[in-house]
This record gives sequence, C-alpha cells and structure tokens, in this order.
Amino acid sequence: MSNIQQYFSTDWSAMTGQDWAGLIITVLIFIGMAVAFWWALRPSKRKELEDQKFKVLNDD
Amino acid sequence: MDTTMTKPQYDDGVVKYLTVLAVVFLVLGTLMGTFAAAQLAWPALNFDIAEITFARLRVMHTNTVIFAFGGMTLMATAFYTVQRTNGIKLWSNNMAWTTAILFTIGLLLAVITLSLGMTQGKEYHELIWPLDIAVAIVWVLYTFNFVMTIASRNKETHSHVYVSNWFFLGMMIMITYLYVVNGLAIPVSLFQSYSIFSGVQDAMIQWWWGHNAVGFFLTAGFLAIMYYFVPKQAQRPVYSYRLSVIHFWALMFGYVWLGAHHLQYTALPDWTGSLGAVISLAMIIPSWGGALNGMLTLSGAWDRLRTDYILRFLIMALAFYAMSTFEGPVMSAKTVNALSHYTDWTIGHVHSGALGWVAMVSIGAIYHMIMKLWNTEMYSMRLINFHFWLATIGTVLYIVAMWVSGIMQGLMWRAYDEYGMLAYTFAESVAAMHPYYVMRTIGGILFTSGAVVMLYNVVMTIKMAQAKQTSAVAANA
Repeated sequence: MSNIQQYFSTDWSAMTGQDWAGLIITVLIFIGMAVAFWWALRPSKRKELEDQKFKVLNDD
Repeated sequence: MDTTMTKPQYDDGVVKYLTVLAVVFLVLGTLMGTFAAAQLAWPALNFDIAEITFARLRVMHTNTVIFAFGGMTLMATAFYTVQRTNGIKLWSNNMAWTTAILFTIGLLLAVITLSLGMTQGKEYHELIWPLDIAVAIVWVLYTFNFVMTIASRNKETHSHVYVSNWFFLGMMIMITYLYVVNGLAIPVSLFQSYSIFSGVQDAMIQWWWGHNAVGFFLTAGFLAIMYYFVPKQAQRPVYSYRLSVIHFWALMFGYVWLGAHHLQYTALPDWTGSLGAVISLAMIIPSWGGALNGMLTLSGAWDRLRTDYILRFLIMALAFYAMSTFEGPVMSAKTVNALSHYTDWTIGHVHSGALGWVAMVSIGAIYHMIMKLWNTEMYSMRLINFHFWLATIGTVLYIVAMWVSGIMQGLMWRAYDEYGMLAYTFAESVAAMHPYYVMRTIGGILFTSGAVVMLYNVVMTIKMAQAKQTSAVAANA
C-alpha cells in the first residue's frame, strides 16, 4: 500500500455511531454548500440577485 | 430617551444610546489593553494591586473590547440597518431598550466580577454562571427582536431580505448555539461552577467556541456591517451581490470546522487538527472574495478615498480583513503552527483582525451612523483624518512588534546547541522581548489616543446637533 493509500485508508468496521454521524453531517454540508453555490451562480439568477444591491442605496 | 427628530419612522433612540456607549467602551477597552501591554514591558506597573494585575486586566480588556465595544456596535448597527433595509420600525422598541439596558448592566457587572478574580477560566467565556445566563438571555432577546422585525416587513415592497441581514442572522443563531453549549456547567455556589466537559473534550468544545467567536461574532457580524455601510458611505452598490451570497454560505458552512487548529500537537486526535487546518486554508477563498467584493465596490471611485475619511476606515478595515484571513490559515498549518503557537505572533494576528478589521470597520460605521442619526455633519472631519492615521499607525506598530517578537520567541524556544540542550532559557527569551513589548505599548497608546479623539469628536458633534435643534425650535417659536 502506497503512503497516499495508507493515509486515506479507513477501517470502516471500527466506525462508531459518532463517527458515522460526523461523516454524514460533513457530506451533507458539502452537498449543501455545492447547492448554494449552484443556486447563486446560475446565469438565470444573475439579474434577480444583482438588482437587490441597488435598493440599499435609497433606504433612508 | 428617544431624541430622534429627523427620522421619526425609525426607532433610532436605542441605536443612538448603543452607538455612543460603543465609543465609550472603545476608549475604556483600548485603555485597559494598553495598560496591560505596558505591564508586560514594565511589570512594576502592577503596583501589587490584585484587581489590576495582568491576569485580571487582560481578561477585563478582552471582555470590554469584544463584548462591550463589539457587542454594542453589533447591536447598534443591527437595529439601525434592519429597520432601513426592511423599511419598517423595530418589532419592539421596548424590547430593544430592555436588551440595551440589561446588556449595559451585565457588562458593568462583568468588569467588576472579573476584576475581583471571579471567572470560569474559559477563554472568551470567563463570566461566572449567573452572568453567563444573563448574557445568553440578552442575546436571545436581541435575536428575537431582529428576526421579528424582518418577519414583520411588508413582503410586497421588501420581498428580498438584504444580505447584511443574513450575516447578522447567521451570527446571532450561531453565537447563541456556541455560547450556550460551551457554557454548559454545573453550579456549585452562587459564583462558582464546573464545566460539564472535561479533558480533551473540554479543549475541543472550548476552541470550537473560541474560534467561532472570531468567525461569527467578530467576522460574520462585522461583515454585515461592511455589506451595508461600505455601499452607503461610497454611495455605490456592492460590487457583486452574487459574490456576497457565496461569501455568506461559504462562511456559514465552513467556519465551524476550524476550531481544532488551535489544538495542534496536543492530546486531540491528529486528524482533527489536520481537518481544522485544511478547512482554514480553504476559507481563504471566500474571505478574499468578500474582501475584494467590498474593495471593488469603489471601482471607478477610488479618488473618494482622498477626501472621504470615513470611507478610508472602511476600506483599510477590508485590507486588514484580507491580510488576517490569509495569515490565520497559514498559521493553522502544522509546520507554521509548530513555530507560531504559544508565541506573540498569535497575539499580533489577533490584533491585526481586532484593531485593523473589527475596530476600523466599526469606527467607519459609527461615524456614518452619528451623522445620519443626528442629521448633521461631524464636528471635525480633520479629527477623523487624524484618528485614521493614529489608528492605522498604532495598529501597524502593534502587529509588526508582535510578528518580530513572536517569530523570535519561536526560534529561541526551539534552538538547540551542539549537545542537544536548549540554547536559551525561557527567561532569556522573555528578556529579548522587552523592546518589542515597549513598541507594542506605543502602538496601543496611539490607537487609544485615536479612540479618545473619536469620543471627543462624537460628543462635540452631538452637542452641535442639539444646539442647532434648540436654535431651530427657538426660531420657529
């Protein structure tokens, strides 16, 4: 086993309930962040979002 | 107490109260910090008075600048901006006043108890348990009022909630959660309690809170200030609204993982420190995205920095934000951390963020609010310029002194002679720090002097505005 393979190897049978909870939360947060980035950056959202920045200039 | 004359549609009385107190606490907090810095250079300044020895004064300083100055600024700006961005008064002005008064009393009690040596002994979470609970209640009142104000807006005229409110809300929710969990303790007397966590779990929870106090209280909250006050002061829209959305979500998703980088080379499992360092390095991207978003707001109008001294504070704050959000991740990497941890470099890093970013963006926002709230120009724009240079030079002196001192400390502590013995004793490293501690004190004196100039300018501005109002009323009578 190479050093890299060894570094990333995981003993799945030794995973505790807390380990699984942490892993699932981490993966869900990664997916959530990817979805948030996709939502904000898709071209069809551009006008809707960028229009918001002008409103603050006339609020008082 | 509400003396608002110019903007009757908003509840500005409580904002005025919080804004002025924030400046007062800025003076007090930096004064304590400078005195503590002087004690490190000249220990005789302890005067053998227990209440002002470094151990107590340092905690009084951190609590005053973070929670009193920072907290008051966050409350003032949140109550100010939520009304304007949503076109509505506060959901409850009475609740806002209750929050502000209770917070003031709590902060005064905090300073008294800390000076008497009453503490939980947890970094940035020192208050004894009754005050701890009181602070949590005040924070929930503040959050509830903020949320209800947004919820009460007219959804037809204000369908979208401006991004500064997202940052404020993220800060409020996360700080509630972090503060309460880290503060979980079993009281054994009126003034003493024991944390429910112990050992390595206690350390992990402590730094989960500790770094996220930086991430959410001192970053997200003050980014909310940046996203409102930079466009307002520059009179230009923020460079990219979409980038601000990305900045928000990246911060919310990413920041909570960083705390373990405070515990490299400890009993904590090695992978947790590595995870903290990796995510810290990844956070450079959104942090710099946010800093650039603020700075590029000035695209095509950079010349305004020559004449607008308030804008200078705001943009200089972003430069320090960019610098400290690069420095922090670099320091979290294990190789650098082996040198930097436990040295003055950490203190320098904290203050490049605290003085350069948090204080300067707050100062810019406070000057902006003072003029709007009292519907007047500042008493002296030249004094603002003077304040800017005092603050900037003071901050640079401080952090340069701590960089040199910290790196020298780290190198001295790890130096070995040809026999494998430590080359320097700890006392020798302390003696070598003296010139830099003096230099740091001078930086602190400059920064504190700037805060005093600000307080004078603010007081004179308010007096001037009140005199104008009185003469206007007399002329109309």
